[in-house]
Amino acid sequence: MLFRFKLLAVAGAVAFSAGAFAADPIKIGVDGPFTGGSSSMGVSMRDGVRLATEEINKSGGVLGRQIQLVERDDEAKNERGVQIAQEFINKEKVVAVVGYINTGVALASQRFFQEAKIPVLNNVATGSIITHQFDKEPENYVFRNAAHDSIQAPMIVEEAVTRRGFKKVAILADSTNYGQLGREDLEKALKAKGITPVAVEKFNIKDVDMTAQLLKAKEAGAEAVLTYGIGPELAQIANGMTKLGWKVPMVGSWTLSMANFIDNAGPGGDGARMPQTFIQEPTTPKRKAFIASYLGSFKPKNNRIDSPVSAAQGYDSIYLLAAAIKQANSTEGPKILAALEDLKTPVEGVVTTYTKPFAKGDHDAITANIPVFGEVKGGRVNYANADDMKKAATVQLKNNAANDALLKP
Amino acid sequence: MQILTQLIFSGIALGMIYAVIAFGYQLTFATSDTLNFGQGDALMLGALVGLTLVTLGVNYWLMIPLVCLFGAVQGAVVERIGVRPAIKIKSEFGWIMSTIALGIIFKNVAENVWGRDDLKFPSPLPEAPIKFLNANVLPMEILVVVGAILMMLAVELFNRRSIYGKAVVATFNDRDAAKLMGINTGLVITFSYALSSLTAAFAGVLIAPLTLTGATMGAVLGLKAFAVAIIGGLTSGMGIILGGIILGIAETTTGFYLSTGYKDVPGLVLLLIVLAVRPAGLFGKTAIKKV
Repeated sequence: MLFRFKLLAVAGAVAFSAGAFAADPIKIGVDGPFTGGSSSMGVSMRDGVRLATEEINKSGGVLGRQIQLVERDDEAKNERGVQIAQEFINKEKVVAVVGYINTGVALASQRFFQEAKIPVLNNVATGSIITHQFDKEPENYVFRNAAHDSIQAPMIVEEAVTRRGFKKVAILADSTNYGQLGREDLEKALKAKGITPVAVEKFNIKDVDMTAQLLKAKEAGAEAVLTYGIGPELAQIANGMTKLGWKVPMVGSWTLSMANFIDNAGPGGDGARMPQTFIQEPTTPKRKAFIASYLGSFKPKNNRIDSPVSAAQGYDSIYLLAAAIKQANSTEGPKILAALEDLKTPVEGVVTTYTKPFAKGDHDAITANIPVFGEVKGGRVNYANADDMKKAATVQLKNNAANDALLKP
Repeated sequence: MQILTQLIFSGIALGMIYAVIAFGYQLTFATSDTLNFGQGDALMLGALVGLTLVTLGVNYWLMIPLVCLFGAVQGAVVERIGVRPAIKIKSEFGWIMSTIALGIIFKNVAENVWGRDDLKFPSPLPEAPIKFLNANVLPMEILVVVGAILMMLAVELFNRRSIYGKAVVATFNDRDAAKLMGINTGLVITFSYALSSLTAAFAGVLIAPLTLTGATMGAVLGLKAFAVAIIGGLTSGMGIILGGIILGIAETTTGFYLSTGYKDVPGLVLLLIVLAVRPAGLFGKTAIKKV
């Protein structure tokens, strides 16, 4: 009996250590708000990440190892993000991290990864500063594949002023950091076109009445309202316009595609336009396959992905990371970093095909030519311009010249 | 002129939203000298329960009595768990912590049951605005104003005319004397809490189509309502309505004429002035507290 037990123990130990050599999984941390006001983005991002991981694992994993996700809910709170970062580093010992929806959480958390030399791939948060927080240090471990605010604001102005010809615009932004930094970017971009907004108004999170802000914009003769805020309050703006019987186009940051804006604004939200890196339309075979397997796996209500942009960017972030690990032939942070900064093979993603997405000193994969304008219609986000939809089959590649063209005064 | 009417109408609608919530503060204060600081959360629970019933296919108008019933039970629970022990040991502040704690518990429960996203409450009335005196008003806003006034009238009538109401008033005037007269003051206080959460739940389903419904909806609204209760006076139903309207109009007009960044300031300045000059509120009866 004793002998048999010993044998079992030895056999077990052998099997375990053999397993550790062959199939020790690669741990990747996933951090986002899966509950709360930004959860539609967080959950869509996580589902995109899960989908990509499942596909990669099915086809044999990376370096012959499976990817294992460690998912944590940061509740959009900075302090939760910090706790999670420490757990990822010290307890879970993750190889890399994807995620972050809220700029504040990203900024609070990523310094720990920077110190621990663990690469972070931001796939949703848009604050301009995120990828530049460690510019001064010799190595910067923070990357991003989302359209950052410093290209979104000029894109919004380009759409409203140049393409649609509105010369009198009002800015409505919330009083958070997100809204106020966005307002600054908008004012700067308008100034570059020689335009001063006719009204610049503020609102608070949870405000239920937007009459004063909207009346000011209306009295100033605004032909369009540019917004920087998040879903629920944006919906109150749309509802307030319906109430005042004053309907001008809303053009704003990508949050106008949030499910809680579309659902709460109802028909009043129709016509709102925002920059989008991905619109739920099967315009390429890759996108078609992505949409089909997303809808099949997660069955969202009315076959609408709650936040298609977050889902697509989440999905792409895992493929980018997998490609880098493969090229580095290692799971060590500095080697993955070097591979990410110099990816040899293009990665075919949903948003774009990533050819040399990152370089030293340039950690943003999305340039101004990649996002298109989406428009809310009938409870979904569609292509705002028919031309964009026709051209969508040609995948836009990263092009730094497009950024420069947009940003030059 | 048209602008001013529009601002005043929106201000009245907003103020009545505050007033219906503030009314609940007044109800419990009148009997037990205590306040339910979880009033905003009672409102939130009412709105979310109402939303669940409506999604289950219950008609909006039929749902209201059910939600009121739920509110009454919830209020009674708050009183029994949080307030009664504090009153029993004559603790001056125990009820403050316990009602706040219960409010937080309710909010966390709601977050787990309904999630933390803001949900849309289907409007029972058409959502197109009506023209009235050259300004636009939503049918739902009129319903809030009418519903709030009706509710307050009903409660006032109950207090003044019915024998039970007289027990409430007697308890307010002198709790010990009322007890000696054979009034079960404990039951009256429980009842006033039930009534206050009932009004909060009713207010919740009334305003939810205008505000957005979610676990966090009570926080800001409950606080504003508290300011209204202070401005109007915690002992006067009429004062609450006027206090609400004053605060609502102050917010919309400041937002327009001064700056939307400062729209919450005048209301709070008013609050400070009232506290300094008339601590019982603009319409409250000044009571001399015998020590």
